Amino acid sequence: MNNERLHYGDRIIYMEGIVVDVDDCSISVDLKGRLGFFKAPKRMFICDTEPKVGQEIGWNMSFPEQLGPEVNEKYVSNIEKERRNQEKMRRQMENKEVSK
Amino acid sequence: MSITAETAKAHAHDPAVLCCRAEGGITIEPANLEDPAIFDDLVDSGLLNLDGCLTIEEVLGAKLKETCDSLCPLTADKVEGAKAPTTEAEEAPAEAEAPAAPAAAPAAAPVAAAGGTLRIHIGEGKDINLEIPVGALGNGGAAVAEVPAAAVAAGAAAPAAAEAGEEKVVGTLTRKHFKITEVKRGPETKIEGTTLYIREGIEQEVIDNQELVKDFHLEIITPENYHTYSETIMDVQPIATKEGDADLGTGVTRVLDGVVMMLTGTDEGGVQIGEFGSSEGYLDENIMWGRPGCPDKGEIFIKGNIVIQEKTNMERRGPMAAHTAFDVITQEIREVMKELDESLVAETQELKQVRRPGKKKVVIVKEIMGQGAMHDNFILPVEPVGILGARANVDLGNVPVCVSPLEVLDGCIHALTCIGPASKEMSRHYWREPLVIETLHDPEVDLCGVVFVGSPQINAEKFYVSKRVGHTVEMMDVDGAFVTTEGFGNNHIDFASHIEQIGMRGVPTVGMSYCAVQGALVVGNKYMTYMVDNNKSESGIENEVLGCNTLCEEDAIRALAMLKTAMAGEEVKAAERKWNPNVKSTNVELIEGAYGKKVDLVENEQSLPMSQKRKEKYD
Repeated sequence: MNNERLHYGDRIIYMEGIVVDVDDCSISVDLKGRLGFFKAPKRMFICDTEPKVGQEIGWNMSFPEQLGPEVNEKYVSNIEKERRNQEKMRRQMENKEVSK
Repeated sequence: MSITAETAKAHAHDPAVLCCRAEGGITIEPANLEDPAIFDDLVDSGLLNLDGCLTIEEVLGAKLKETCDSLCPLTADKVEGAKAPTTEAEEAPAEAEAPAAPAAAPAAAPVAAAGGTLRIHIGEGKDINLEIPVGALGNGGAAVAEVPAAAVAAGAAAPAAAEAGEEKVVGTLTRKHFKITEVKRGPETKIEGTTLYIREGIEQEVIDNQELVKDFHLEIITPENYHTYSETIMDVQPIATKEGDADLGTGVTRVLDGVVMMLTGTDEGGVQIGEFGSSEGYLDENIMWGRPGCPDKGEIFIKGNIVIQEKTNMERRGPMAAHTAFDVITQEIREVMKELDESLVAETQELKQVRRPGKKKVVIVKEIMGQGAMHDNFILPVEPVGILGARANVDLGNVPVCVSPLEVLDGCIHALTCIGPASKEMSRHYWREPLVIETLHDPEVDLCGVVFVGSPQINAEKFYVSKRVGHTVEMMDVDGAFVTTEGFGNNHIDFASHIEQIGMRGVPTVGMSYCAVQGALVVGNKYMTYMVDNNKSESGIENEVLGCNTLCEEDAIRALAMLKTAMAGEEVKAAERKWNPNVKSTNVELIEGAYGKKVDLVENEQSLPMSQKRKEKYD
């Protein structure tokens, strides 16, 4: 199992956060205490009632640990491609608006 | 806590550990021993070391040489007169001796490993009463004991008690296959021989079809171009159409072989539709070829990349518009296919819905995603995997919808699911659904139908639909049921609830899901004793390879064997606490032995060209 590569994987911390956005397929959460933000697919959240902005949620987690110093070029290249593509599309959109 | 003679027998091959302090010279009885079910946690937390520990069957009746404290593992030096161990193989002669037996047994669903350790230390005290509700010991722990399932001795599954009636064909569906070897662009959409031409300029119609669609590009990917970079694959669909006015699941369906529709998309800002994390990349490194939902190696992809209005990628209307607009192309090909000359039919296949009165009656319940947007499915379109005429299961309230097995195989589900590439069931999956095919063809069971049920977001709704499932199945008077689900997450809550609702009506139920490491079940109940894990990945994870951990023929075979075992009233061993891929291989061997046929296992991501990311990240 991969979690054998974690040194502190068993240090479980109880965390809380606030739902800051809900759309049709994801929920966004601000971690309390200015500890960050995450967004995950709806099906990874367990909800007794309709999820709504402002609700508090809790979960257990530990610290994300680096698995090694290596940089995976494939991911870098994907991120780069994505970034360039988004930039291009954004420019196209702006041009469209200008020409209107 | 001490154990009973019965528990001792069930755990004969498990380690023997004293449950409480025992004086030297006593004869060891079950009452002196601790329940092996709790050992894993103790070992994990370092409180117990089982090295050199004798098994329960070895120590029973032996003499304890010295006084030992509680939780002391009994090793050879502490015990006098230990018996020789028997091997486990000898214990289950039924397997080897009953090769004709159809029963055997399947894989384990690993369970939530969330169960921690309950440690209570009381240094000194009087009148201390500890009252802990059993449920409070954590889902994980409690579920572990109950959930799962694994290998069984392959006993002789008694031949169906009732005398077998005649097989009854209640419906037929003819599939006419047309071979396509080349896809080109041309002035009009047409099929000439084995060449499919797609009209140039059709892109504009796709864009005009939906207000939200802002741009569209069509690409033809041939096997030489498999090493092409692609955005996240949203869906893979067969190209098929009905002949005449036939309804789905009846009459004749024409299908093109050698070519599939593949949908990808982003919003205007370049953000992938339904994208969480990176599953984009080179096609040949990211597709598990030959999975029911995936393209086969050698097929041509008609790949459309749809651009939808900015920020609608996470709204229901975004992906729906993308799927609807893309169907414009498929529909134009369908229209052409309807006119094709019969002489071009390469192969005709007759699918029969056979009922076998007198045989064990079974039903398949397929849980599909219904949390919203990319967790949605169109049910029962007019054309196979079409759009027109279909209803989204989210709009239907995710309630159970009963369909015939032939409707499933005729593309009654147009899947909008687009999250978790390895475990999502794409539209093509239903078109080739292995569990439906295996069960329909098995002469020992009578498949009465398939029930689709959505998985809503909210727990209250989940239980609402699962109760409907329970009542639906109750009305069917079945002897056994399958419950399958795709992906993992909160859908495992209703998955467990469906099994409970069916199980409490006395119907043995086999659950099928991707579980392994990352998809470990979050809840369990006492009816979840027959579980089959769809995992194929080496490390038991969501490995970002399209279709890798979806339900395949081998899983269907194991599930069927397990259900037959359960319906015959035989025992299925409990699953191990943590995911162990060997359980699956043991079960496959048992099945091969019992049926005398080879079960071909599909390959996993290790067979693909190793992308750098997998090499470094996962394996």
